[in-house]
Amino acid sequence: MTTIEKDLVRQLVDGTIDPQDARGLLKMETKDTERFWTYLEVLQERVPWDERILLRISEHLYVVAKPDNGRIVKCDCGHEFGDYRANWKSEARLRVKTSAEEFADVYFPEAAAPEPLWNEIREFYCPGCYAQLAVEVVPPGYPLIFEILPDLDRFYRDFLGRPLGDEAGDWYQDKTLEKTGTWL
Amino acid sequence: MSASSVLAPTSAQAEADPEKSLRHKVYERERLTEATGHYWGVEQLRLKDADPMKFERFYSRLQSACMAAREVARFVAASPGGREMGEAVWALATAEGDSIALSEGFVAHSAAFPVAVKFMVDRGYEENPGFHDGDVYVSDDGYSCGAPHPGDTYTYVPVVHDGEVVAWACAINHIMEVGAPQAGSWAMFCVDTFMDGFVFPPTRTGENLKQYAWWDEMWKRRTRAGMMNILDDKMRLAGAAMIARSVHEVIEEFGVEYFKLASREVIEESRRVVMDNIQSWMIPGTYEQVGFRVAKFKGLQKIWERADADNLIHMHMNTTIDELGRISNDMEGSSRWGYHAFNAFPGGVKVAFMLGLSGALAYNTKFSSGGNYAVTGDLPEGSIYNPGTQIASHSNAWAQMLQVTTMAYNALTRGQFMRGYMEESYAVSAPWDSVQGDGVLDDGTPYGYTNFELLGACAHGAFSYRDGQPAVWFIASQLCNMGNSEEFEYLIPPLFHLGRKLQPGYCGHGKFRGGIGLTTVHWIVNAGQRFSASRAGSACSFMTEVGQGMMGGYPSPGAAVAVAQGTNLPELIEQGITPTTFQEVVDLTESGKLKVDRLEIWKSDAPDHTLKDNDLWSQIAGTGGGWGDPLERDPQAVAHDANINRVPAAFSARIYGVVLKQEDERYVVDEKATREKREALLTERREKSCPTSEWWQRTRERVLAKDFIGPVQDMYQSSTSFDKYNRHYRGFWHLPDEFEI
Repeated sequence: MTTIEKDLVRQLVDGTIDPQDARGLLKMETKDTERFWTYLEVLQERVPWDERILLRISEHLYVVAKPDNGRIVKCDCGHEFGDYRANWKSEARLRVKTSAEEFADVYFPEAAAPEPLWNEIREFYCPGCYAQLAVEVVPPGYPLIFEILPDLDRFYRDFLGRPLGDEAGDWYQDKTLEKTGTWL
Repeated sequence: MSASSVLAPTSAQAEADPEKSLRHKVYERERLTEATGHYWGVEQLRLKDADPMKFERFYSRLQSACMAAREVARFVAASPGGREMGEAVWALATAEGDSIALSEGFVAHSAAFPVAVKFMVDRGYEENPGFHDGDVYVSDDGYSCGAPHPGDTYTYVPVVHDGEVVAWACAINHIMEVGAPQAGSWAMFCVDTFMDGFVFPPTRTGENLKQYAWWDEMWKRRTRAGMMNILDDKMRLAGAAMIARSVHEVIEEFGVEYFKLASREVIEESRRVVMDNIQSWMIPGTYEQVGFRVAKFKGLQKIWERADADNLIHMHMNTTIDELGRISNDMEGSSRWGYHAFNAFPGGVKVAFMLGLSGALAYNTKFSSGGNYAVTGDLPEGSIYNPGTQIASHSNAWAQMLQVTTMAYNALTRGQFMRGYMEESYAVSAPWDSVQGDGVLDDGTPYGYTNFELLGACAHGAFSYRDGQPAVWFIASQLCNMGNSEEFEYLIPPLFHLGRKLQPGYCGHGKFRGGIGLTTVHWIVNAGQRFSASRAGSACSFMTEVGQGMMGGYPSPGAAVAVAQGTNLPELIEQGITPTTFQEVVDLTESGKLKVDRLEIWKSDAPDHTLKDNDLWSQIAGTGGGWGDPLERDPQAVAHDANINRVPAAFSARIYGVVLKQEDERYVVDEKATREKREALLTERREKSCPTSEWWQRTRERVLAKDFIGPVQDMYQSSTSFDKYNRHYRGFWHLPDEFEI
């Protein structure tokens, strides 16, 4: 079985990997099957908290297992976004840009910028560290985009062959609408 | 080819042995594949297991035939797209239309071949006129042959052995001109399919590997680039003939039963590898992705009142891994089809799904249709992806469907990011563009054209660990190629390049930025009696390419066109000044150095412009999206970008919070000012953001008040006319049942 050095995974995560090493990984005919576990080890070593990482879902965000059997989204800064089944964006800080002047701050040249009124640029920040976690460029009134609702039980059981201890039938469901219902 | 096979229609064979009929094969293939989950019910690779070397030799013969067909036949063509850029593919398909082997090139189009075969079977072609060895069929119709748009033209040659269709030699290439009211190969202003140009269902256009004389006349009479299209047609047929001959030789050597069974095993083998790749690289779950494409035709379509409208097309995709382990793309929520050129038919949508995925999922196996069986879609009837009517125009389905391609591929790269295969993870994007039109030379010769240069070489979006690179890939093919400038210049006499380079700053930004996009500046010289140009492409900059960036980065911008008419360019040239980028055209005009009667900036689709000597036609296209938070970008990378003129320093301060200063004519990072600037931008984030719940409450009031411009409100009406998306939209905003959207 092909394996790769843990340090290469660290370099991928850091963005410091040598182009030739990255090329070598890209040209592997069969990917190393242990990569997911190595990746989790590398990530777990970096975060300043102890909860077990179940899945990395974004640059800064992880689905983690809480001691009380909860599964939540957590930022590497430590901020918790709550149950992973509700879109984490519902617990973020949101800045909405609507003007051509604001669009010109992030798109260049001017003609490349999207059109106001038809579009708004939504920037989602972590309430803890204010890292920019996601960007949506959508018409006003558009629902939040739920980038990924993972089916963790199926993943760990069927794809990895190592079922999670708190496996249950009701994990894989979208709870975002329940969350927005509490805002009425 | 034997004399008997030439003369005997398959219908006679079918009467004698129904199991050898094409109809039986098509439906039995469907039944067995669905019932067993294995292609044609092939649960064991018996031939491969029994003699692997023979099996590999068999496949190698077929694959080599396809490669040889491409490398020889494309030199029959004269069009740059066909000959030089290789916008084509040759394939050997089973009798049912599933590809056993393909050349390099447009491999995803293998998803369209079975559509044409099934159409011909269902419409009785097998009985009338019957299929004969060496017959030639051609089609370019999305409804009947699965073409994504009519510029994609397919040739099919049945390989008949002992009266039985055992295979098809297939080819497809993107022709230069399709004969629509709007000249070029992606007419943008069609109302219905009757304006799509020279569109025809699978049609027998020749026999004994030779086209009928009338067929050449059709190209001459119904398109503006008859000679180019005839040579493209001969190119496709020449390669298909080579493949057909090779198949007969292979059957002679291996036997026809081995040919049929081993072909199925090749496809099943690659299907299994792709299915295994999906399981190994992705995370099961639901990936939601969206995009928007403007069809901004109000005031431009006055003759056809129903089409004289501004539409906002919604592309909505929920990707899951279904219970069989396939990638499943549910397109519900996407807009209804409309009276514009951007509709698609299911066969073309399958090509769009596979356009990026076919290479990404199948690079470690035999390239066949196996991967097509690992990706499926739900295309609601009445939607832009399954109009449910033959009349829908699909002249440039790619205007919005290329974004479907990028979304399907982004689900994979997001999965690979979560699995730790970060080397594969990037912001997939490919907003291509082109210039198309027609003209009349001074001697009265009319011609039509398309310049593909902004199609064949896009930037990569940012990777999860490095910046994207410019002009390095073509999502539709493994062969990135923008064509030689001179090739296009001699075929489109009035269009001379003043510039063909990178447009600084033009990309999606982030911790890692997308590859810098391309720009061209064309100078009109000796326009002849008449010369016109319009724009055709995928995403235009009115909206971003797709609706979401990757991991905090900004999505790729779309393409734009600048048209400067009535310029004083000769005076500038005498001063040694020439605009070489889109933005230089704009800046020189604003500074007053370039004097123009009129400068138009088109962020939506530029219609036909009649251009005169010294007019300028300029474009930006082919960039990529960003990855991650731009405030996390390495300041030294920002300085490097400024020093090699990739991103302007003033813009970098705004988006990256990196302040540069000049030392010895080079930019260096002002460390202290950068720290302060980044701190200020973080403070701005705190002050100008709010909890999402507050935004939701404010926006819900706007939803209830329908406080949006007409096209946006119309888009919501269109998408919520589908039940599932209606429940999603109403559920998210908790709208009262009686509220009418």
